[in-house]
Amino acid sequence: MSFLSLSTDPVTEAYPDQPLAVSVDSTVGEVIELMRAQRGSCVLVCADDDCQGKVLGIFTERDALRWMAQGAAAQIGIRDWMTANPTVIDAKSSVGSAIQAMSAGGYRHLPIVDETGTPKSVISVRGLVHYLVDHFPNTIYTLPPEPGKTYDREGA
Amino acid sequence: MILCPACGSENLDGADECAECLHSLTDLSLPRAMTAVERGLLDDRIAALNPRTPVTVGPDAPVSEVLQKLINDRLGCVVVVDSQQRLLGIFTERDALMRLNVDAAKLAARPISSVMTVSPATLRMRDKIAFALHRMHVGGYRHVPILDDQDRLAGVISIRGILAYLTERHTASA
Repeated sequence: MSFLSLSTDPVTEAYPDQPLAVSVDSTVGEVIELMRAQRGSCVLVCADDDCQGKVLGIFTERDALRWMAQGAAAQIGIRDWMTANPTVIDAKSSVGSAIQAMSAGGYRHLPIVDETGTPKSVISVRGLVHYLVDHFPNTIYTLPPEPGKTYDREGA
Repeated sequence: MILCPACGSENLDGADECAECLHSLTDLSLPRAMTAVERGLLDDRIAALNPRTPVTVGPDAPVSEVLQKLINDRLGCVVVVDSQQRLLGIFTERDALMRLNVDAAKLAARPISSVMTVSPATLRMRDKIAFALHRMHVGGYRHVPILDDQDRLAGVISIRGILAYLTERHTASA
């Protein structure tokens, strides 16, 4: 039986995803088609495609929605629609501090970076839920259909 | 071996009642909450999350109007209902990305019912929070509409609301 240790478990326990990365010279149209094809919910925007060095920006479903609502052109640069200088988190941070940073900023994604600031993965709300479900398997998976009701067994 | 909680005698695994004192052993396999967070998950019902009143639109609302509403009201989803407040579907950011994508401008005048997710998974106010979390995890949903006993829309819960609720309990107990 495992117990929840939000303040000691590193953030890498919460099922980080491999990030989709694009160059800052891409267009919004290219990026959201990539998101659809890869079923991704966010992309990191870097100086070049292999994403060494600092993250310049993040582009999420929410930014895509803003772009759609405004009916802007697909050829417009991602630079104009990304969220620049996103909040990032160190790989050694705890799950608890990640949850705090996400709820304080209203983020659904946080890039995890190494010492040089190069993004290694992205932690998402979905990963956090997976982590929580993992840590309460007894609580979550063995719930009787209507808790509090007693059941008579039938048959052998 | 199962120890009888009433008399302490040993019983074979799988026994329904204690051979010594006839105390029922069937509920020993039910989960027991260990921490405040687990108790919150197990005992509290969705009503404790205070599901917010959802923003609803009719099935004929144009896509462009719904997108504007999502942005202006800072929403992650709108619920599509008929005139009797019965649930028809849900339209989320995810649907926008998957179904509109680069064609958003072309589809702007189409009715929302053509791009919404039809008959999404729903829950009731009396369902446990653990059950909701399980549903959302397995289905990959971020929003689940809550129905009342007449199958009318009563609210919407979000993954964010559940996380906030659990972390609040966690910090309160730590």
